[in-house]
Amino acid sequence: MDGCIATTLGAGDPGAYLPIFLMIMGAIGFACINVVGTLILGPRRKGETKGIPYESGMTPVQSARKRFNVRFYLIAMVFLVFDVEVVFLYPWAATFSNLEPQSEQAFTWLVRIMFFLLTTVVAYLYGFRKGVFKFD
Amino acid sequence: MTDKLIYLWPEVTLFITTCLVMVLGLSPQAEVRRLCAWVSAVGLTVAAGLAANGEPDPNALLPNIMPFAKVVIAAVGLLLLMLLAGTVDREYEADIESGKTKFNPLRSNRAEFYSFFLFSLTGLMLCASAESLIWLFLALELTSLPTYIMVIISTRGAKSQEAGVKYFFLGALGAAFFLFGFSLIFGGTGATHFDDIADSIAANGINPILTLGLLISMIGLSFKIAAVPMHFYTADVYQGAASPVSAMLAFVPKTAGFIAIITICAAVGWNYGPNHTSLPEGLRLVLWITAALTMTVGNMLALRQRSVKRILAYSSIAHSGYMLVGVIAGPGPVGGSFTSNGLAAVLFYLLCYGFMNVGTFAVLASLKHADGSEADDIDDIRGLCSTHPLLGWSMVLCALSLLGMPPLLGFVGKLGLFTSAISAGEYAIVIVLGLNSAIAAVYYLRLIVTPYLDKPAEQDVLRVEKVGIITRPMVAVISAASVIGLVLVAQPLIEASSRAGVATRHGDVHAVEQAAALRDDINEPRP
Amino acid sequence: MLDLAPIAMTLAADSPAAVASAPAWVMLIPAMPMIGVVLCTLMSIMGVRSKLPAFVTVACLAVSFLLTVFMFTGHSEGWATAVGWEWLHYSWGDGNGQNFTANFAFAVDGLTILWMLFVTGLATLIALYASEYMATDVGQGYNRFFIAFNLFVFSMACLVMGSNLLMLYLGWEGVGLCSYLLIGYYYKKPEAVAAAKKAFIVNRIGDVGLALGVYLAFVHFGTIEYTELFASEKLQGYLHDAAEGHWSHIPWQASAIPLFLMVGAFGKSAQLPLYVWLPDAMEGPTPVSALIHAATMVTAGVYLIARTYPLFQVSEIALPIVAWVGTLTALLAATIGMAQFDIKRIMAYSTVSQLGYMFAGLGVMTSVGAGFHVLTHAFFKALLFLACGAVMHGFAGQLDLRKLSGLWKVPGWRIVTIGMFVGCLNLAGFPLTAGFFSKDMILAEAFVTPGFALIGWILLFTAGLTAYYTFRVFFRVFVGPVEYHAGDDHHGDDHAHDDSHGDDHDAGHGFHPHAPGWAINFVLATLAVCSIVAAGLYFIGDHGWVAGMIHDSTAHIDPHGDEAGGSHGSAALFGLDPHKAMYYISSVVGIVGIIFAYAFHLHGRKSAGEAPAADAFKAALGPIPRWAENKWYVDELYQFLFRGPLLVLSHIFRYVDMLLVDGLVNLMGWLPYAVGGRLRRGQDGVLQSYAASMAGGLALFLLVILLLVNQSA
Repeated sequence: MDGCIATTLGAGDPGAYLPIFLMIMGAIGFACINVVGTLILGPRRKGETKGIPYESGMTPVQSARKRFNVRFYLIAMVFLVFDVEVVFLYPWAATFSNLEPQSEQAFTWLVRIMFFLLTTVVAYLYGFRKGVFKFD
Repeated sequence: MTDKLIYLWPEVTLFITTCLVMVLGLSPQAEVRRLCAWVSAVGLTVAAGLAANGEPDPNALLPNIMPFAKVVIAAVGLLLLMLLAGTVDREYEADIESGKTKFNPLRSNRAEFYSFFLFSLTGLMLCASAESLIWLFLALELTSLPTYIMVIISTRGAKSQEAGVKYFFLGALGAAFFLFGFSLIFGGTGATHFDDIADSIAANGINPILTLGLLISMIGLSFKIAAVPMHFYTADVYQGAASPVSAMLAFVPKTAGFIAIITICAAVGWNYGPNHTSLPEGLRLVLWITAALTMTVGNMLALRQRSVKRILAYSSIAHSGYMLVGVIAGPGPVGGSFTSNGLAAVLFYLLCYGFMNVGTFAVLASLKHADGSEADDIDDIRGLCSTHPLLGWSMVLCALSLLGMPPLLGFVGKLGLFTSAISAGEYAIVIVLGLNSAIAAVYYLRLIVTPYLDKPAEQDVLRVEKVGIITRPMVAVISAASVIGLVLVAQPLIEASSRAGVATRHGDVHAVEQAAALRDDINEPRP
Repeated sequence: MLDLAPIAMTLAADSPAAVASAPAWVMLIPAMPMIGVVLCTLMSIMGVRSKLPAFVTVACLAVSFLLTVFMFTGHSEGWATAVGWEWLHYSWGDGNGQNFTANFAFAVDGLTILWMLFVTGLATLIALYASEYMATDVGQGYNRFFIAFNLFVFSMACLVMGSNLLMLYLGWEGVGLCSYLLIGYYYKKPEAVAAAKKAFIVNRIGDVGLALGVYLAFVHFGTIEYTELFASEKLQGYLHDAAEGHWSHIPWQASAIPLFLMVGAFGKSAQLPLYVWLPDAMEGPTPVSALIHAATMVTAGVYLIARTYPLFQVSEIALPIVAWVGTLTALLAATIGMAQFDIKRIMAYSTVSQLGYMFAGLGVMTSVGAGFHVLTHAFFKALLFLACGAVMHGFAGQLDLRKLSGLWKVPGWRIVTIGMFVGCLNLAGFPLTAGFFSKDMILAEAFVTPGFALIGWILLFTAGLTAYYTFRVFFRVFVGPVEYHAGDDHHGDDHAHDDSHGDDHDAGHGFHPHAPGWAINFVLATLAVCSIVAAGLYFIGDHGWVAGMIHDSTAHIDPHGDEAGGSHGSAALFGLDPHKAMYYISSVVGIVGIIFAYAFHLHGRKSAGEAPAADAFKAALGPIPRWAENKWYVDELYQFLFRGPLLVLSHIFRYVDMLLVDGLVNLMGWLPYAVGGRLRRGQDGVLQSYAASMAGGLALFLLVILLLVNQSA
């Protein structure tokens, strides 16, 4: 399978990378032009209003430098775990239905996803034990 | 893919143990929490047993590397586990027992510490099983990521946090390098599976993109083995982390890096050069320069150090340089012996290095100052042979072995590196290796002389005492005993490593010649 | 069917010496000192504070010596081996050279027995001497001393008795380590620590040579087991070629082996250019100097060459190099010895010089002469050192020959003086002493070997110098007017024994020298008798007892025929048999040297410090004596050539590290700063610089390698 890619890409031929190179150059050039362009063209004003943080058009009510409870981050991480789980589950579910029922292949696929789910369960258990879901 | 599973039972065992430890370590009952180390030990032992009975994989580039590497990893892992035991949460648990505080899972680090250690070992074993670049990359990261956190939680001080953060950022940079290198290897060959890469190289030869990819991956991987030019972090991080964790850092990522380097080199094959016995020129050169610089820089920097941990860190750098010599030498002639097989020498040396290195760090880890700070200065081990004879003599023996003094283990290991490089005709690097071994004597001698000849410190402030963890001196003594004892039973180990160092594609000179002939045919018609 | 043909062929090609098996108790010879190590370590752990370790050591070593004597009497001809256990055995095929065996085994032949007899014998005597000499250190230091002492004898036994080159290497490193530990025994003296380090490092240079030599021998001959190596058809073939002068038939790998082995021998036996460590090694306790740095360990190089003599004979240049290095070392060390004032140092240089004689002897193909000189030298040099040690012990560390005089007349110093006198006569080659006969063997052989006459003349001249500086010591220190000043230290330790000889340190009359006790006197007397009796060995058997021992070993010389003393065929010196002629010539040279010493250092000398004749002569020579006193500045030269660059390099690397940290930080810090970012704030500069140097390193590597590869492509 990989061999096919090799032939189609023309593996190892530096010439094949010319478009990528141009693309990268273009991206870098675009970034540089923007930075340098604003430096040259953009108006420069200083003032109290200019200095306040941007809060989607609202006036900030207090300082942004505030300590958050550590659980805030932990919850974010646990969310990430489930998020990733779903990302994997969707394609799995979409493909699994195409497999031949009762076949060995289907069984293997089932075992794999169960193992994967086990890891997420462990992550959940860990979070639970760590007290992430306790709000007090 | 599923067939591959039969080779992965040690990893699966370790992973399940990890999950178990992670949950057990957060139990509100102190007795259950205390089970962590025991469960880890059982898991490692089972994994070692499974690995020892593991089958060689005939399809892999290095069919026998898996059983050997995994047994070594599990064995040294058990030793490291004994050393790591009790590193975190000692005062905290004592406070809970005496009723000063209540158990707060957010403050406890025990679960993370053990489970991350096991995670790291799982990653390390997966490196040995890797069959594609992506697998290898993920395994390398699984090895490294937990170590960053282990450095940070190993002590409560700010120093270990600084070390951990530094290690993390530089590690990420190193990973970026070799990931970029891997992607160029893919670009150059159109394959991610090592088998296919080897086929592609055999059919199409080496092209510039591939060469560039190989160079960048080797330099990126030199972060893992702490080699020039990626060696800068080593001393700072080893010094910042608690001694047991430093011992782990000197073994685990280094082993992962060497297995990765060997695997990639095996895919390229030692079929180039005038006699079809060396790596392609670019790859050989990068390893050669890295090896020579690494040994020299490591040894030179160690000469002027006073901190024992920094000395050991620089010595760890130098040892990476020594081992790279074996990679340059390659697996030698088909059906060759230990003395001509550089890969076997590297694998065997990793085992030797594991024991000697853990031994020296274990001595340091067993000592502390009266104020609880770690022993680190060279003065702290003064006269250790008279104050704590077992620890002192362990230090002397392990340092002698690191120095390569016959008949200790380090000598047998170094012998393989020397002889394989000579039989591969790499005389220049052997001379560099010989000179460096002589220079290294200077600072190892300090580690030998200071405990043996010097008088212990007089003032109470400077005096060191034993840490109250029984396993740590045990590790020191076990390592020192192994340094002597393993020499007596070296034959089976050497045989196993010689088997592990056999590369299948290596004998494939025929295919390379065919490919070369084909290229010449294509090139000839052009004026 | 068994294919017996190859075996039969090996047997046919075998040297006459067939391999017998030695009795198992032979292994007790090295085991006894090992038991000593264990016992002394136990005593050290239990904190014994008495002379017990010394007596245990003496007992162990005495048993070892007795067993060696039994080994000698029970030995017939050829090899006898005893396998301890299978130590290393690696195999990767069935063919020749496809397995590597190095058993922990012992092999005994004439050479082994010769060496073991004097090693164990002298070790026993010197341990007895040390029991008294080290008495001021009783306690931890005393135990430590005897642990290392026993370990040394064990290592030396492994070196000499081992049945293969790896055992020799094991012993080689072992004696090096013990030597290091014992030189640094007075670890509070910075000089002692520096000397120990110097010895170790210089020896490591030699060890690399030895290791490579052993490796090459294995690669080329497929075995390092003596019995197989020296009987191998390959080697026999080369020897045959060499004897017929077909040097070009011998592959270079085979002729390179002795060159590497030689480097090892030069390191251990303190020959040019690696001799610098031995004089400094005198910082160790005197018994150690006597045993390790005069009598036994330093002769390991001679042993190595004698043991691998067949390998040396297959190279056209190896033995001439050995001869020349030995000769030049002998001359250089003698000139330095003449100008020193520290009597122990004079003895050290004389050891270097005498070792030079032994190498010269090996080089001119008289392994018998070299072996005999090793034996006689072991006795008389141990005697000289122990006598010097007794002086040092008695006069609180005084070793300056300008501050001691007329000890003969001081009560209690008779035996020391007589011992010293016997030793000096031997070293000076006074007619009919043992040293006279052994030196003559080497000299005569040098004169009759074609192409080596110049070596003969240089060695003869050196013999005169030797006689001079030897008796310079004797005439200054032991005879003449009575005068002595105490030294200022007590063997470098802090257990001062002021109580025993008063508090007065500075002048002759109030200071009472501490006369040697029974152990020291007994050992000195025994050694003096041995030194005298050793001369008799020359008259035993056909060509002396040593000749018989050497002929029954690998150092036996075939092509040259009868070299031990009888007829030399057509070779003759001044119309006489070379040995007879040499008796007369070297007698005259020796006596002239002694007369010079008398004229300069005893005749008309009024006090210890001044010798008018010598001073006048010295003044006439201009700066040369000062250069000689400063050892021709060889140490400074080495410092300049080797240590300097190493230190500079280590500094450079440190600065590179610092520069990469500081310099690159600044450099890299500039870039974002210039672009106008405030991103720099809050970043750890060190981390950044590490990352920058990593990326820089990557770039540099790629550049260098791509350039190099493109160039080669």
